[in-house]
Amino acid sequence: MTTQPMTLLVIISEAVLEDTLIDEITELGAKGYTITEARGRGTHGTRAGRWTQGGNIRIEVVGNAQLCARIVRRLQSAFEKDYGLLMYTAPIELQN
Amino acid sequence: MHFEPVVLFFLLGVFAGLVRSDLKIPSAIYEALSIFLLLAIGLQGGVKLAEFELLELLVPSLLILAVGSLIPLLAFPVLRWLGRMTRADSASIAAHYGSVSVVTFSVAVALLAQEEVDFEGYMIVFLVLLEMPALVIGVMLARHGVGDVRWGKLFHEVFFGKSILLLAGGLVIGFIAGAEGIKPLDILFFDLFKGILALFLLEMGLVASARIAGLRAYGVFLVTFAVVTPLLSAVLGTLLGWALGLSLGGTVLLATLYASASYIAAPAAMRIAVPQANPALSIGASLGVTFPFNIFVGIPVYLWMAQFIHGLGA
Repeated sequence: MTTQPMTLLVIISEAVLEDTLIDEITELGAKGYTITEARGRGTHGTRAGRWTQGGNIRIEVVGNAQLCARIVRRLQSAFEKDYGLLMYTAPIELQN
Repeated sequence: MHFEPVVLFFLLGVFAGLVRSDLKIPSAIYEALSIFLLLAIGLQGGVKLAEFELLELLVPSLLILAVGSLIPLLAFPVLRWLGRMTRADSASIAAHYGSVSVVTFSVAVALLAQEEVDFEGYMIVFLVLLEMPALVIGVMLARHGVGDVRWGKLFHEVFFGKSILLLAGGLVIGFIAGAEGIKPLDILFFDLFKGILALFLLEMGLVASARIAGLRAYGVFLVTFAVVTPLLSAVLGTLLGWALGLSLGGTVLLATLYASASYIAAPAAMRIAVPQANPALSIGASLGVTFPFNIFVGIPVYLWMAQFIHGLGA
């Protein structure tokens, strides 16, 4: 069995943006994604997740490096200014 | 002084939050409680609505909407020029105060039930109607001449968001079923109403405690605004309710609707449509100041105002 080098993109942002972010990501060509609810603290204060709109989500996308770079550029220009948004990538080996 | 003991649960929640107790209401339970409250209020209104001619409601509805729209339009210049806030913040806060709060309304309903004051069931129709226009006005004020608005997204959020969907859905189901048809559900939706409201208020107290702790950061202006605005709006509601010939209970509920500020629907809608606005300011004012003010001081005062004006007419 061979493993395939891919990129994992993790996006942490506001729960209220969920639908919008998913639209952007799929439009840019992502084949899939995983969302989990998240809480935490950052430059936008504590996001305790007590209210639906007071929580964060964590979106994981696996794709090639170009796709992940495209998503990062698009989300950065559209949402970084006004919303809490944290993105990072890591090289991974896809196992199946 | 009229007093509804259920609001003490809110204080307990605030206390638990301030002393950093490990008390937490799991978000799944909070979601379930809010679904219950919205449906119960909707059903209660629907059952009572069945006693009225729907066409008779048209003119009062339009008047109540028109006067209700004045609240954000009047609040905006006050915030913008007196409070020297940014355009986005002023518009967002104005929208919060123009929109309504279901839980504040529920506490008023509970107080009326305790005082054995009856009210027109169609007040819940106004609750549904009043939630939306202020949000649209807020977005228009914020975006006056600048940028495009994702209206589609905003309308979807408002009309199909759970609060309008469940309130309106409950209203229709209650209307179709009528008092007899809904009887098997009475135990769940009507008898348990106050207990569930108590649990919900406990959670609201926990959430509000974080906002109350941050009050100093909002400044004297915003805190004053958050207390004076509901009082003035309630005067508007009391006068209009009396002019429309509403009953004593109906007048109290209209005053409460005008006085209440949204902290669930409006924050979500404003975050999407006016992202430049700082949500801490608007939620802090509406949840940290106006909500507790309304349930402890406001609603008893609105009851007194309504009794006063109805007494004048007699």
